[in-house]
Amino acid sequence: MDNWKKTITSKKGIILLVTFLLFVLSIYFYGRYAGIFLMFSLLVFGALSFFWKEREIKILTLVCMVVLAVINIGINPMKFGIDFSGGTRIPVILEHPVDSATMEELVDTIKKRASVLGLSEVKVSAIGDSEINIEVPSDNQEQILFIEEVLSKQGVYEGIVDGKVAIIGEDILPGSVQPLAAQYLSGSADWGVSFSITSKSAKYFSEVVYGKANYPLYMFLDRPKNAIIILSYDELSITAQKEHSIDDLVDACNDALKHENNDLKLYLLEEIDINSSLVPYDNKTKALISEDSPDWLVNYLSENGFIITFINKEAISPSFTQGATLPSIIEWDGVGLLSAPRLSKSITEGSISTYYSISGPAQGEGAQKTKDAQENVKRITSVLKGGALPVKITLGSKTVLPPQLGMEFLRLSLIGIAASLLIISIMIGIRYMKKKLIIPVVIISISELIILISILGSFTIDLAAMAGIIAAIGVGVDAQIVITDEILKKQSIELQEKLENAFKIIKINVIVAIVAMLPLLFSGMVEIIGFSISTILGALLGYLLSRPAYAAIVRDIAEH
Amino acid sequence: MISIPNIYKGNYILLSIPALILILLSAYFIFITPQIKMGVDFNGGMLISLSLDNQVDPVSLQDALKNEGYDASVKVFDTAVGLKAEIEIPQGENIIFADNLKNNFDELLEETASLEAISAMDESYVPEYKIKRAELDKTANELFAIAGISNDSAQIENLNVLRKTFLSAYSKVYKDYETTVSKTIQQYASYSSISIQSVSPRLSTHFIDSAVNVVIIAAILSTVLVFFFFRNIVPSFAVMLGAFCDIVLALGAMAFFQIPLTLPSFAALLLLIGYSLDTDILLTMRMLKRKGDPKEKAFDAMKTGITMTFTGIIAFLVLFILSIMTNIPTYYEISAVALAGLFGDLLATWGINAVILLKYLEKKEKDVKQNG
Repeated sequence: MDNWKKTITSKKGIILLVTFLLFVLSIYFYGRYAGIFLMFSLLVFGALSFFWKEREIKILTLVCMVVLAVINIGINPMKFGIDFSGGTRIPVILEHPVDSATMEELVDTIKKRASVLGLSEVKVSAIGDSEINIEVPSDNQEQILFIEEVLSKQGVYEGIVDGKVAIIGEDILPGSVQPLAAQYLSGSADWGVSFSITSKSAKYFSEVVYGKANYPLYMFLDRPKNAIIILSYDELSITAQKEHSIDDLVDACNDALKHENNDLKLYLLEEIDINSSLVPYDNKTKALISEDSPDWLVNYLSENGFIITFINKEAISPSFTQGATLPSIIEWDGVGLLSAPRLSKSITEGSISTYYSISGPAQGEGAQKTKDAQENVKRITSVLKGGALPVKITLGSKTVLPPQLGMEFLRLSLIGIAASLLIISIMIGIRYMKKKLIIPVVIISISELIILISILGSFTIDLAAMAGIIAAIGVGVDAQIVITDEILKKQSIELQEKLENAFKIIKINVIVAIVAMLPLLFSGMVEIIGFSISTILGALLGYLLSRPAYAAIVRDIAEH
Repeated sequence: MISIPNIYKGNYILLSIPALILILLSAYFIFITPQIKMGVDFNGGMLISLSLDNQVDPVSLQDALKNEGYDASVKVFDTAVGLKAEIEIPQGENIIFADNLKNNFDELLEETASLEAISAMDESYVPEYKIKRAELDKTANELFAIAGISNDSAQIENLNVLRKTFLSAYSKVYKDYETTVSKTIQQYASYSSISIQSVSPRLSTHFIDSAVNVVIIAAILSTVLVFFFFRNIVPSFAVMLGAFCDIVLALGAMAFFQIPLTLPSFAALLLLIGYSLDTDILLTMRMLKRKGDPKEKAFDAMKTGITMTFTGIIAFLVLFILSIMTNIPTYYEISAVALAGLFGDLLATWGINAVILLKYLEKKEKDVKQNG
């Protein structure tokens, strides 16, 4: 007992406590990154347990880790894969592996298109360098078909000038979209993209843009039809210059939303009169609102018969040009407005041409400028190609799971975990015939389990991960058996040496076990990655924390 | 402690006989008959899972599907979450054909599109464009024929429109196939929910490629590690042989019990590499790095090792029982393969690896005596 008191009040004990509190604060305030914090804390506590030889410290580090894991389970909801929560998973396979920048762009494009189409609850995540996973927490067939359609088809491109559709995606020759060579760039332009349009559409285009020099060409991808959009003052003016009035901003928005046969109407949240009713055009009219909208607005709109579409915080606000006397919009993801280049005078004078280019200045200096120019080229190219992804994709095998079934699976799996813990404890009891040994084995196994579930649950527990967790119970005990057998040996060597012998074996075992699973972790096989993560984490966790702690506990028992 | 007699006293070489026999049998099962069954992940095709409303005779449903032209295999399970049926259907000819056409079309479209753009600027390219375009039309029309669409590609002048039409025809082929299959099933069974997992030929090739890479890298890494740790040819070789035999036994069991090779069972095989190396390493460390009678050390290691393996067996047995209760294929494939491998590990480690090490140590002792 004295030892414990001394350890806890020692410098090391205090450092441990402070570290622990810091981690508690981190997972409380940054719940989104709880999994990362927990993994990091595993390494930190593991290192402390490795360098500080006091056995009280070794036990304390494990206790800290378990308490941290329990706190995390308490304050941050555990995430389960659609196998347990119900829903649909669609893996997307890329034609060839891509670098991380392209991957980011791909995930972003898919997310953007999904959110413009009102599917913001869709989870898009990159797995490895050649696969993307899309999960929808719903088994609604219509919605799934819609997503598949969105993914396998191009977006609908519309170029709108002064409310009239000047050009549509079909008019652009798909093979003609390419970056403009530097020598053709004029004036202040740092980048450019050229394209050709069909001769039929060329005539129409020249008529629409006639006399509209310097008007913006609003380039939309999947512009919502039959919809209204509601912004708060804050959302409207987030990128606006201070001197521009709300009215000016609204005018700029309306200019961008104008369309010859389906206007997108803008309403301001603060000006909505809850006592009068806002009438939808028909029973399919959508209301685009921020995901942060107040409840009363949601209720009000649905009572009035709108179909509500939540838009990401980042996408709902329009981006205004900087430094102009009157505001105008250059980008507005929430309504699919991706770019707004201005028409140069020469193409608005009535001549008919099939060849056009879009160019503009880049931000920044030096390398930053080159990068910005390249990004602009990429973006415009993608928009002109109808949001075509930079790599060809194939949709993988779709999995659908009803939620009730998922709950049942989860319940049975938890019973399975308990059952295997119980049977293994009984087996250890029979094997060693020592009650004192069973208790630490069970306690350590439960601790490992709690930490493992807490970490994995911060990311996602799917079927494969759950199988890995159950497997980890069986594997986790192994090292404890090695330690116990060494300690109980009737050899005349020191206890310390026996422990070192055991740890040598365990170290190699853990390294080999991790190395055998590592290639799977990086293979990008979404379906089974959870299994390799939980197996690797289980091994790591045991090696860094539970095994030293177990050795410390058992040594007490062996000595007495 | 329970006391068991030391099995390594006496002629321990005999211990390797059961392992060797089973390995030969496994090789027979794997390569001759019944061979390893490829699951839908690696083979492509469709896996349809149904929640049935009432009992269905699997044989008659299978026959009914065969009569409709689907080479299906049907299984019915009574699980804790209701009656379930699993129907596996190999990839339809139309699907394979459509997939090939799509690959061709994608390539041709790119070439045609750039020729179109060039010929819009320079008329001398028009003939070349027309030739490519005709090729493209031919491919597209073939797919339209399969999809049962009366479109003529040559009539669709705009390439963007052609691409759209082609893609919807392509997904129609897939959807049609799925609908006809599910319609046929509907005639013979009533169900409350259906989920269709379909793996295209492209995707299954992708899975096979990744799996082969993973196996090769895992094997190389663990071999290098083992040799690094022991720095001694014979024991390292014995450890790797032990793990290898274990995998062969697991594969043999997969062939014999017809556990399909899928992504989950593949993951279980990888786990087995690590798991069987565990006991092999324990044995080798105890035998090489410590003093004492080799037979005693081998027996001591065996006691620890078998306890370890049994805890693993218990965990996977629980998973196996869960899989039977819930009919979750992921659980079944992982646990069945792991169980087979763990039993195999008992034979491979204590029947083969231990025997090689004992022989090696005996020979070394003899050499020392002769030289001394």
